Amino acid sequence: METIKNYLESMFLNLPNTPEVYRAKSELLQMMEDKYTELKEEGKSENEAIGIVISEFGNLDELAADLGIASFVQPNSQVPAGRTLSLEDVKNCLADYARHAYLTALGIMFCILSFCGPIFLSAAAELSPRHEDLLDALAGAAFFLIVAIGVGLLVYSGISVGKWKYLKTERCVTDFATTEYIHQRMESYKGTYAALLTVGIILCILCVLPPIIFDAVWDSSGFWDDCSAGFLFILVALGVFLIVMGSMRLGSYNRLLHLNGQGTVGGSYVPNQQNEPQYINKTAAAVMSVYWPTVTCLYLIWSFLSFDWHITWIIWPIAGIIHTLVKNTMTK
Amino acid sequence: MNISSDVIRGYNDTMILYLLWEGPSYGYEISKQIKTLSDGKYIIKETTLYSAFTRMEKNGFIESFSSQSTDTGKRRTYYRITETGQRYYLEKCKEWELTQEVVEKFILKGDNRNGNN
Repeated sequence: METIKNYLESMFLNLPNTPEVYRAKSELLQMMEDKYTELKEEGKSENEAIGIVISEFGNLDELAADLGIASFVQPNSQVPAGRTLSLEDVKNCLADYARHAYLTALGIMFCILSFCGPIFLSAAAELSPRHEDLLDALAGAAFFLIVAIGVGLLVYSGISVGKWKYLKTERCVTDFATTEYIHQRMESYKGTYAALLTVGIILCILCVLPPIIFDAVWDSSGFWDDCSAGFLFILVALGVFLIVMGSMRLGSYNRLLHLNGQGTVGGSYVPNQQNEPQYINKTAAAVMSVYWPTVTCLYLIWSFLSFDWHITWIIWPIAGIIHTLVKNTMTK
Repeated sequence: MNISSDVIRGYNDTMILYLLWEGPSYGYEISKQIKTLSDGKYIIKETTLYSAFTRMEKNGFIESFSSQSTDTGKRRTYYRITETGQRYYLEKCKEWELTQEVVEKFILKGDNRNGNN
């Protein structure tokens, strides 16, 4: 019976989401179900019954005029049928995106960790004035080396998913069974995601602990106090790694689930889709698409110019509130 | 030898209306009755049947209603014939008699043309 259901779903995949189409689908399913049940009762095997039901299904062209879907079932329609992703494609894609998420998160982590080298080494330099020049040179080298590793990882991870670029540029669809598979994978991943996010956020909050503790234990001078900022960055880096990896993986499930156009039957396979916000006009959409990068730039500019890192973080909660406000007032 | 769907298309409605005149029925039952009455020589496709239902409902020949099956208790969409449908059916019957009469004149019976020479 599952085969018949999948067959019917795949026939309706690209049809518009209208009550008529829905009714047609459920009525046809009912007839096929009745026929299947009776064939089974007559003693036909599963495969035979499915074969007969599908061979006697007919052609959706016949319904075109009645359902107002002529433009969808005719081969030369304006709406291209789109590329159908097989279950195998989807599995590969998810695997690639999982690796992409891991590598990107790792790259970002290295970029953050790059501050640690100079911090530790210059702290060490103060301890041993004899090797000060050497250690200072090493500090600079370490910084660029770690940044290079980080950037290298980011570039590599970007290229590694290059073959899936067509998901964004072409119209792609996934059939009922595949959508169901992605959905289940995503549901089972959500627990891991919650854990990653929680630990990540906790680490980011706890990053202020090393300076506080070191300050209390070793007073405000000496090697350990100089090092405290380095530990802060290590905690932040780990936290960011977990958050980025978790969110990017969840994003890949969402991207695949949103392939099916909302207006088609295929689009309704995913219950309660969380949609990208629809802004009221193009300007708003354009501005909002660069919102977070802009905020990041502002944060870095202000921080590096003033070196008031202890206060500049205030940009993030403010930006968050503004973002929510704009989203609520400017969306359809 | 199968019946060409082009030929029979115009008379799917007639068959369905004939069966509905006997009493309200639902999709699969109708397709089963068509198969039995035609001794398995004509099997109506699901899409053909559904498209006939929607077309005739739009034209007011039949009405649909949801009801529970007496034996299995399953909810199904049932169809029943309307008065307009009955009038249409009788017209179609007359049309068929005429069609049959005309086409009949051009159909060879018994021996084939070569043998007749």
